[in-house]
Amino acid sequence: MDKSTGLSALVEEHIKNGDTIFVGGFGHCVPFALGFEIIRQGKKDLTFCRSGTDILFDIFIGAGSAKKVVYGYLGNPGIGLGHAFRRAVKAGTLEYEDWTNMAMILRLEAARQGVPFLPSRILQLGDIAGASIEVKTMECPYTGETLACIPALKPDVALVHAQQADRAGNVQFMGVDGDTVTGALASEKIVVTVERFVEPEEIQKSPENTRIPSHRVSGIADVEWGALPSYVEGYYGRDDDHFFAYDKEARSEEGLADYLKRYVHDCADHAAYLDLVGEELLAKLKAQASARRIA
Amino acid sequence: MSDLPAAARLALAAALELQDGEVCFVGIGNPSDAALLAKHTHAPDMSLIYESGVIGSDPKDPPLSTGSPSVADGAMMITDGLAVFAELQAGRIDVGLLSAAQVDPWGNLNSTVIGDYHNPKIRMVGSGGAHDIACLAQRLVILMPHDPRRFVEKVDFITSPGRDAARAGLNLPPGPVSLITERARFSFESGVAQLAATMPGFTEAEAIEGIPWDIKIAATFEAVSEFAATAVEVAESRLSYLFN
Repeated sequence: MDKSTGLSALVEEHIKNGDTIFVGGFGHCVPFALGFEIIRQGKKDLTFCRSGTDILFDIFIGAGSAKKVVYGYLGNPGIGLGHAFRRAVKAGTLEYEDWTNMAMILRLEAARQGVPFLPSRILQLGDIAGASIEVKTMECPYTGETLACIPALKPDVALVHAQQADRAGNVQFMGVDGDTVTGALASEKIVVTVERFVEPEEIQKSPENTRIPSHRVSGIADVEWGALPSYVEGYYGRDDDHFFAYDKEARSEEGLADYLKRYVHDCADHAAYLDLVGEELLAKLKAQASARRIA
Repeated sequence: MSDLPAAARLALAAALELQDGEVCFVGIGNPSDAALLAKHTHAPDMSLIYESGVIGSDPKDPPLSTGSPSVADGAMMITDGLAVFAELQAGRIDVGLLSAAQVDPWGNLNSTVIGDYHNPKIRMVGSGGAHDIACLAQRLVILMPHDPRRFVEKVDFITSPGRDAARAGLNLPPGPVSLITERARFSFESGVAQLAATMPGFTEAEAIEGIPWDIKIAATFEAVSEFAATAVEVAESRLSYLFN
């Protein structure tokens, strides 16, 4: 069955106001095009979740798309704080849950497996449990040890960007994963963008690279540069300068508003965004791509 | 030697904590620098693991994120986060390296909030994998720039637990074994940080300058007179960005 559609139709059809959304991409293959389209369409009251976030979460907060964030880490990796997040927490305008990266992965893994929790040794010391989250403990029925019960988190929909897929939605992904596949398979629906569509025969040449099977995918679009300014193994490098520039702009509400106007609201679509980025930078990032590709 | 930048001194000092053959779970920044330095000097068979799911990593450029391209380039294995945190919880990671905004005498670390949790002065990034590494690594090495504002009598929020009497009952490893600055090594045999070594170029007084708690001298105290010339050379080439 052909599940392919365009980027805007993908978001219109599958993202509802109030949804809990798992955002794929642990630094690599962050689904920026999907995220920007969600902002462009004015989707609201969303809960965003994953383990370690990228600036995309801070952008969702600054754009007013997020009612709540559930995360292990929320910031601009290696550069600094999430400025919109920092302001929203201080102003009391955002709901948030502080977990840890491992806890978020276990929460998603529990949902992926269809069990209500997974036991773990974390979150029994320190101040995280009890601050914005409650973590129940249990006595192990086999050993008598005290363990934390990390509750399942089942998102309504997952956003994933990957290298390639067929139009039925057999998604092939390689490179840094983090919790991307775990979180996708934990979710009720999965929507996907890929750098390119390939024929089913290409998928069959290396089925071990298929990380999400078509029967779990709700809709898929081919969106070249769909992870920019993050990177895609085999396609383009990471635009680190964009992350440094965001850090400067997002320090003030006005700066962040300018950023959103320029990159999201004034761009009618992803093609307009790529025009704004410019051929020169795209060519430079393409030249930085790793040589590793799915055959 | 005296003109070495502080960040390079911190990496050189912390690299001394790492042994060849160890499996090392590293965070971004100072921890990553120290682990790379050790790997390219005295610990060639050390395996660097990043929480993004990368094992046997050897970044050529300083990664901004554990998911950055340089973490993946030249790695021996790319798996997922679940796999590497599973190794951590199963006790198969020898040493974890962490930094944070605040540290206290027990080696508790704060990367969540300055001020009150619900009414913060500065809301920071949160745990990431730091809490998990602090709980589960067989040894924990803390790296902190010598900045007295980061050393507090009690952290505002315990993101990553330090020495805690409750660890044994929960079958958790003991936690921090050392706290490294560019000026000193502090050890935790007594349960709180004691001055165990001064680093090259610094006196005992300078090692504890501005730290607001009473620091005892460890029985094993030593003055490290100089870093190995080879280690300094590797730092200059491999961590050249620290010298800019």
